[in-house]
Amino acid sequence: MKYFYLCVSIILSELYLILKLGRYNDDFDDGEDIAEFDDNDFAEFEDVSEDPAVDVEKEPPPRAAPSSTPIEDDEDEATVENEDGQDEFEDADDQDMYSKYDNEEFEGYEKTNPSFKNTLIYREVPAHLQNSWESYYMEILMVTGLLAYIMNYIIGKNKNSRLAQAWFNSHRELLESNFALVGDDGTSKEATSTGKLNQENEHIYNLWCSGRVCCEGMLIQLKFLKRQDLLNVLARMMRPACDQVQVKVTLNDEDMDTFVFAVGSRKAMARLQKEMQDLSEFCGDKPKSGAKYGVPESLSILSEMGEVTDGVMDNKMVHYLTSHAEKIESIHFSDQFSGPKVMQEEGQPLKLPETKKTLLFTFNVPGMGNTSPKDMDSLLPLMNMVIYSIDKVRKLRLNREGKQKADRNRARVEENFLKQTHTQRQEAAQTRREEKKRAEKERIMNEEDPDRQRRLEEAAQRREQKKLEKKQMKMKQIKVKAM
Amino acid sequence: MTVNNMADPRRPNKIFRYKPPNTETNPTLEDPTPDYMNLLGMIFSMCGLMLKLKWCAWIAVYCSFISFANSRSSEDTKQMMSSFIISDISSTQRNPQM
Repeated sequence: MKYFYLCVSIILSELYLILKLGRYNDDFDDGEDIAEFDDNDFAEFEDVSEDPAVDVEKEPPPRAAPSSTPIEDDEDEATVENEDGQDEFEDADDQDMYSKYDNEEFEGYEKTNPSFKNTLIYREVPAHLQNSWESYYMEILMVTGLLAYIMNYIIGKNKNSRLAQAWFNSHRELLESNFALVGDDGTSKEATSTGKLNQENEHIYNLWCSGRVCCEGMLIQLKFLKRQDLLNVLARMMRPACDQVQVKVTLNDEDMDTFVFAVGSRKAMARLQKEMQDLSEFCGDKPKSGAKYGVPESLSILSEMGEVTDGVMDNKMVHYLTSHAEKIESIHFSDQFSGPKVMQEEGQPLKLPETKKTLLFTFNVPGMGNTSPKDMDSLLPLMNMVIYSIDKVRKLRLNREGKQKADRNRARVEENFLKQTHTQRQEAAQTRREEKKRAEKERIMNEEDPDRQRRLEEAAQRREQKKLEKKQMKMKQIKVKAM
Repeated sequence: MTVNNMADPRRPNKIFRYKPPNTETNPTLEDPTPDYMNLLGMIFSMCGLMLKLKWCAWIAVYCSFISFANSRSSEDTKQMMSSFIISDISSTQRNPQM
């Protein structure tokens, strides 16, 4: 449908352009006819009695009207005479007077007295009135650019679509054997597998899988490069990038113990530590090199505590990471996941962000942009790793010490947050109290019955008195305790 | 020992429906390109129309194309078409200024 609209509007605009050009050409042709003087100079003079101005190519300046007619005759005669020969013109007495006139007339005129044909000065026709392709070079260039953009759009869109389909075909079996619901767009009434990807964009495809033990659901996002956008294609020539597959597994509360862990490429780890709320709060240390745990140097690890790393990095996991290190961008397990840090305009948010137990995997598709559908098969082992991780995380439980440490960490983070927002929360509470008082006063004022008004006022006063007394008691108690 | 050998891990009774991520709470997840390009396209096409500058109108056409290419499927096609057509028409106006 989108194609149809695009094609129709392009065709309409081109037709409009062509029509306008055609009309313009017609106007121009008439003008040219008028401009043709070459063969009919003298014919024109003979036909029209008094119009030297018609001959615009000639130089004689326009003199006063009375003198114009004899001069015109002179010119006629002069031209005729000139045709025959200049000697005749000079000899005749009658002509002398006229020749004087002629000389005066043609003061600035060249003495050589060239023939009329040579006096024709061909002015340059302005560029925008010319009937040639050169004057439309800008339009041609632009339209060519647009056509190139459209071609690239169609080719890029098709390529992305083929890659997505290839990925789904190679992973379908694994997913269908692990999840009861594969493919859901959330709009249908019944929860039935659609069995296909949701296309969010020309370069982003989603797949939602649910109905498995150990997890709530899994959202897979195929984030391809913007092959349909020519600008992006050109930008990628400067800065290469690759397609990514992002897998986000959301877990139930009982499916995961309390820990935060991440492993991935060094660049990715450094970036995530700064960006992610939970990693910056719980994994404060610098990322450790993966070599200590048997994975390649290119990978680094961020962990809440050593016990977690030991628990996650078992032999199978190490094997997965080693054999597919170049495809792994980041792996992030967290029970406090709330997404990247949110920058609020009014300062700190008043409430702690909502957290969800999540496993996040980001994989790079091999090929660095020049992917073919066959490369999608190489991602299958990584999906096996995802499934394995889900089961593993369920079984991974911290020992008593680890649990205590984790709880202390979480309490510390919460305390810090509360301290930071203390003043703001106080202000908020103050405003709320004032609002309440104002509302009460308004109610009292709006009461029509004066008796009821009096009673309400007294009740309000008594409440305030009680509050004051309570406060005073508290202060006294604190003082006593201090002593 | 894989899970598949032991038992089918699928649980049809534990199905959760897909909920599209709420982009209001996560503004960083959204790609602003189509919105910016749409706005630029409108501005350039108005400039081209009012100030009679052809190059403005051509840039507007390009902007609307880029916005269209980067847009999300859920967005309204009509609005995109309208901005595209406005910039298209203003670019095909005949005037000598470049």
